[in-house]
Parts: sequence; C-alpha cells; structure tokens
Amino acid sequence: MVNSKEESTTKKDLLIVGFLCNWCSYGGADTAGVCRFHQPTDLRIIRIPCTGRMDPLFVIKALIYGADGVLVSGCHPKDCHYNEGNFYARRRLEVLKQFLPFMGIHADRFRYTWVSSSEGQLWQQVVTEFSETIHGLGSNPGVQGESDAKAMISFF
Amino acid sequence: MMEDKVKTLQKEFLNVFEKLEVVLGWEPGYDSLHATPSFIREAEDLNKLVWNPLCSQNLCTYLVKTLNVRVRENDKKIGICVKGCDSRSLVALIQEKFVPREALYIVGIPCEGTVDWRRLMRFEPSLKDVQKLHIQGPELAVETAQKTYRFPLQHVLEQRCLHCRYPNPIIYDGLAGEPVTPRVGDDQVYGDVEKIEQYSLPDRLKFWEKELDRCIRCYACRNACPLCICRDSCIAETRTPKWLAQRCDLKEKFFYHMIHAMHLAGRCTECGECERVCPVEIPVTLIKKKLNQIVKELLDYEAGIDPQKQPPLLTFDPSEKGI
Amino acid sequence: MSEKIFIAQSELTAMLERLSKEMDVWVPVEMGDEKWGVRFLPYHRDNVVVLGRQSTLSPKNVVFPQVETLLRFRYQKDDHDPSKQSIDLKDLQDVSSALVFGARPCDVRGFLTFDQVFLKGRYKDPYYAQRREKTLFATVLCDTKDSACFCSSVGSGPGDREGSDLWMVPVDDGYVIEALNDKGRKLIPIMGKPATPEQIEKAQRVQEQVTAKPIGEYNLTQSAGDFTGRFEDMDYWRDRVSKCISCGICTFVCPTCYCFNITDESRDLEGERIRSWDSCMFYHYTLEASGHNPRPEKFERYRNRVGHKFSYFPDAYNGMISCCGCGRCIRSCPVSIDIRKIVHHLKEAVDADN
Repeated sequence: MVNSKEESTTKKDLLIVGFLCNWCSYGGADTAGVCRFHQPTDLRIIRIPCTGRMDPLFVIKALIYGADGVLVSGCHPKDCHYNEGNFYARRRLEVLKQFLPFMGIHADRFRYTWVSSSEGQLWQQVVTEFSETIHGLGSNPGVQGESDAKAMISFF
Repeated sequence: MMEDKVKTLQKEFLNVFEKLEVVLGWEPGYDSLHATPSFIREAEDLNKLVWNPLCSQNLCTYLVKTLNVRVRENDKKIGICVKGCDSRSLVALIQEKFVPREALYIVGIPCEGTVDWRRLMRFEPSLKDVQKLHIQGPELAVETAQKTYRFPLQHVLEQRCLHCRYPNPIIYDGLAGEPVTPRVGDDQVYGDVEKIEQYSLPDRLKFWEKELDRCIRCYACRNACPLCICRDSCIAETRTPKWLAQRCDLKEKFFYHMIHAMHLAGRCTECGECERVCPVEIPVTLIKKKLNQIVKELLDYEAGIDPQKQPPLLTFDPSEKGI
Repeated sequence: MSEKIFIAQSELTAMLERLSKEMDVWVPVEMGDEKWGVRFLPYHRDNVVVLGRQSTLSPKNVVFPQVETLLRFRYQKDDHDPSKQSIDLKDLQDVSSALVFGARPCDVRGFLTFDQVFLKGRYKDPYYAQRREKTLFATVLCDTKDSACFCSSVGSGPGDREGSDLWMVPVDDGYVIEALNDKGRKLIPIMGKPATPEQIEKAQRVQEQVTAKPIGEYNLTQSAGDFTGRFEDMDYWRDRVSKCISCGICTFVCPTCYCFNITDESRDLEGERIRSWDSCMFYHYTLEASGHNPRPEKFERYRNRVGHKFSYFPDAYNGMISCCGCGRCIRSCPVSIDIRKIVHHLKEAVDADN
C-alpha cells in the first residue's frame, strides 16, 4: 500500500471516467471510501441507475474527446437490481471492447467489471489496477484532425 | 438473360397487380450509367421497370421512412423488388416488427453484383451513351455504339458486392431469374476488415481520422440506411440531449459515425448503402462489418437471415459464459 | 508586359508553389487513393491537382466555410459578488487572402448569387464580405461536360467569365492565363511567362469553340411562373420526390445553396457562436420550437428547394436564378433525382414521361 501511495502522488493525474451503477458498484466505491482504503485519484465517478442504462456511446464519446480511460462497473450478473440490466450491458460492453481497437483506440482504455456494494476491497483493487493500466498507456489525445486546430478550448 | 429477367419481374407484379397499392422497383436514371428508384402505381407503368447492374439502391429504405407500411383494411400490399442483400434488410425489418410480412409482395432477384459508377469512371472516364451493360463471368461488358468495353469486376463493382455471400434473396414471393453462386467463400467475407487490422493501432486511428475527416455531415449514410429507423429523431441532430455540436470538427464527425455504427451493431445487414451514397467516398460499411464480425464470433448471430430470431443486442441470455 | 501568360502543365506545381507563398491557394485534389471524387484543399506539394474533371464538392467553403465562428464569449464571475458576471466578447477575425485555382465557371457563378444575398441587400454580412473581398478565382474554361451538366440552361455557359479574376484556357498541354481585373493582374507577374501570339490565338479559338456549344437541352430561366402554377399540384411533387431520402447532399455540394444555422456552443463559462451550413432537405430545418413543422414531408422540402432556386430568388433579385447548372446535385444524388427534368416539366399540363 505504502508503495502505491508514493507512486500515485508523484504521477500526474490522468482523467478516468467511471460509470457506476447506483445499486452495487457505487455502494462498493462508498464502502471502499468508508473503510479508508487508499485509492488512486484519477477516477471521476458518474452514477447511473443501472449498467443497463450504459450506452456504449458514453464510452466512445469520452474517449474521442480525450478521456484517458473509461471504467464501467455494475452488479454481478444474476444480481442486478432490475434482474436483467447487466445481462444486456455485458453483451453491449463486450462488443464495444472488441470493437474499439478497429477504430484505433486501445482496448485497455476501456474496462467493464462487476463489483457489489459489500466489495470495498475488490473495488480498491479494480481502481488501482485500472489506473495503473491507464498510466501505462499514458494520456489519450482523443481523435484529432486538421480541422481541430482551432478547437474550442483555447479561445482567448 | 437480363431481358428475360426484366420480363419475369414485370410479369410477377402484373399477375397480382390488383392486390398491390404500389410497386417499388428501378427505372432508368438521368443517363445511361444510372438507375433510379421507381414507385409504380398504374399497371401500364410496369413496363418502365428495369433490372441491370446499375440498380444499386436498396428499396427497403422506403418501407419505413416513406411508406410506413401497415396491413391495410383493403388488404392491398406493397410490391417490392429485392436483391440478395436487400432481402436481408427486409428480414431485419420484419424481425423488429417495423414491417409486417403479410403487407408485402416481394419479388426477389438473384444478383451478380451492382456497378459502382465512380469506380467505373475511374477506369474509363470517357464512358458515355451506354446501350447495354451486363455481367459476363468475371467481367462487366459495357456496349456503346462504337465499341464494347470489358472491365474486370473487381475494379468496377461496389465494395459490398465483392464480399457478398448472399446474392440470392432470402425471402420472396416470386423469383426473377435463376439463383447464382456466391462470389466468395465464407472465409473471404471479412477480407476488407482484416486488411485494416493489419495496420498498427496508431495507423488504424490515422486511417480513420483521414477518412472520416472528409465527412460533410450530410447524413446521407444514415438516411439511406434501411435500418436507421429513428427517422427525424436521430440523436445526432437533437439539441437536448446534446450529443453533437454543430461544429464540423473531426471529433463530431468521428462520433457521428460511431453513433450510426453502434446503433446498427448486430442489426446491420451489410447492404452497403451507407458507403454507396457517401458523396466523399468514406468506407463506412467497413465499420459496421467489423461490428458484425464481432457479433458473429461472440454471439453467433448474423443479421437478416432468420425472420424468427431476435438481434442479440436487443435481448440477453443469463447462461452466457465468458463475458 | 503582356496580360496573357502561358503555363505548361509541367510547370504548374512550381507556379502554385510561388503563389502559395503570397496567399492561401486552394486547389482541386482527389479525395484519396483510388477515389473518383475531387474537393478543394489548401495547396500542398504532395497533393495531385485535378483540373480534368469537376470537383465533387464546390469551392464554396473557401468563402463560406461549413462552420464559421461568428464570435467567442467568456463569462467572468465577480469574485466578491457571485451573482454578478461580466462577459468578454471577441468577434470577426482577420482572414488571409486566398486564391481558388482551377474553379469552373459554374463554381464562380455560385458566388454571384451569394453576393446578392450577403452583400447587395439592406444588410451586408461582414463575415462573408471579408472573405469574398480577399478571395480570387482562377477559373478554367470548361471543356469536360458530362451528362449531368446544364450550365447553359440557366443562362451561364462553359465559357462564362463573369465573376472570375483570372481566366485559364487549356491549350497545348498547358494553360493560357489572362487577368480579367486588377486583382488578377497583380498575380500575373508571379504566375509565368508571356504567352506567344500563336498560343493566344489558339486560346481564342478554343474559347470560341467551347462557347459555341451550349450545355444542357432545356431553357430553365423562365420557370418562376410555372412553379407558382404547380405549387399546389401535390401529385406532381409526390410522384417525383417520393424517392428522395432527405439527405443534405444536394444542398451541401451546391455552389449556390447558402442556408445556414446559428448556434451557441459553450462549455463551462466560455463558448462560441457559430454559423454552420444547414439544408432545407432536413426535417429539422423548418422545425419550430412549438413542435410544429411547416414542411414535414420531404416533397414539401424539395418543392421549396426548386421554388427557391427558380422562383423566389429571381422574384427577389431581378430575375437572377439561384442555380448555376453545375449538375452536382444530380451527380451526387444517391437516388439520381434530376432537378432539370422536374423544373422543365413544371409547365407541361400532362407530363409525357409519367
């Protein structure tokens, strides 16, 4: 733990977007926090009602516009609060994961996983592993064309 | 022979014409190298119908977006001509209950491929006043008053036809012509996808950045797609929620094509219309083909083959392992 | 110094190289390897310039970009009173001068209709005016018509010099280039050596030959009244336009279509107001905030396109037709809708074709 703490404070933060289901993984992340498990600080969490709500386009949009990684986490299959949401999700997300490299986006920048609300420790492990993977890949410029030279951000 | 096919085609519709509201087919276009979709409402107009390698448009596009096909009280049906690839779109529309099978009278046409006008021009820019154009074995024969040109098919057919596995219609009420043999074996179907995959990851990104940067956001690929059925409510154009800005930067263009592709994952029947209509010649069908390949390997499903099945991303299976 | 110069095909690259040091030079280049289409891009020595066929996309984006920033804004919050905020605005940036090399008479004619709308009316559009003023056109005499061309049908022609600054006539594996006004004359010394009298004479002959052959079989210049007469003939429009797929190709490739949309695109406290091409073929083009849409059907939208070009525009601008006859909308149309025939048949009581 001590090692990874030192490491994460010396590294520059990257931007990882996390989409967590309200019922399991969001609770799991909360458990990890309550238990004071140390976690890397690159992750920004967006709460979604269920991974069944997870449109693969959320992931693609984040990666195109320059997020360094996207993590989706929900209830374990067969444990969905709405019974079937994550059954839909796992098909969509797996197809997406296999598809990204075809467009030239590293598949490791996207990960989906299942963490229940009691699994604070598992959550810590998932976040740590994923953050390390993303740091290994470095920052993601997103897609860039010649026409982007005058992109919105640098106005004034 | 082509003439016979056209005769059969017209006869198929003529026999049942009093039961039909309209017939969708093709007629000659603005010059001898183009055909155009035709909506026939009178029996005497049936002789306008043609069939030749220029009849490239997938007429299934009109079923949902223009005609809004329903079973009518008077029991009148919509007559439609379909090639092999078009018939798969039809199956997909029936599967998803956008079009009732019993409201259609389908005449299938076994197809040896359609000509990409732009590829033909590239090969022979001076080509004009064509009198006849037909496929003979591995060649396209183009007859003009002066001479007969012969072009190797791989240079003048549409990309979709070069990898076509389903030249023969899957569903039909009548068939015009004898079934033909598919041009490629099952192992060559994804040849074009694999070509891209030989590039390194950064090179693939560069390839798509270069191709998609040409996009002018005319939405022709979406509008020509028989399975893009959101009609005027596409999320590419809504302001709330705002998925896309009006800017025309690569990010917007790239993401727009991702929207189109993801919404067709497991549904696309590879009719190739998106690529055919693109005014700036972006190989957009490739993206959808890759998704189809993934769906085939992962979920063992091919779109537009079995009217009883359901597209795999619209359903689930709790017993699934490995994902 | 002679007003007319000759440039051989082989010296074209060197000339463009010289010109591109003076200004932005836009040239027609192929869309990519093994692609048929051509579009205008800023000159780059690796790009092959294609003068032998019409570009798929017209050069209208040089003067009227697909997306143009009208202004940029940034809100600033008052540190002491969060309810107060000020706004910084920046508008109208300088643009550099540009040369469109290898445009065709139809492309240039497009800007003449733009001028009516953006410059000649009560309001002058400063964004357009600025670019228009600074853009020159080196137009090539058009000797490569195809079956979709109809420039003579709308009162122009393959040898129409109106609106161009430099005029290029293909002669002997090269071009005789002539300046048509002072703006063009300034570039002549950079471009090349004076043409020989034989070359000038040949160019003259080519010009006469091409001008003598009108392109397009119909005369569509007097269609305004016919359009009004057909306006309510729903069957006419439905018959011809049912096959339309409501995409924006015809309007985006058109040199005379100028409709635009203005939107604010912002993020956090800053953003920009942009003007982007719009298309009257889109359902959203006329969609009102209430949800009502005065043109919900595609045949109504197509009718508007025809009406605008051949009836409303000439009514408003001294009979000028807002169509240059380039044929791009026919050529690029996914379903081969032919606007010539639709306009031509407006006047026929019973359409023989149908």
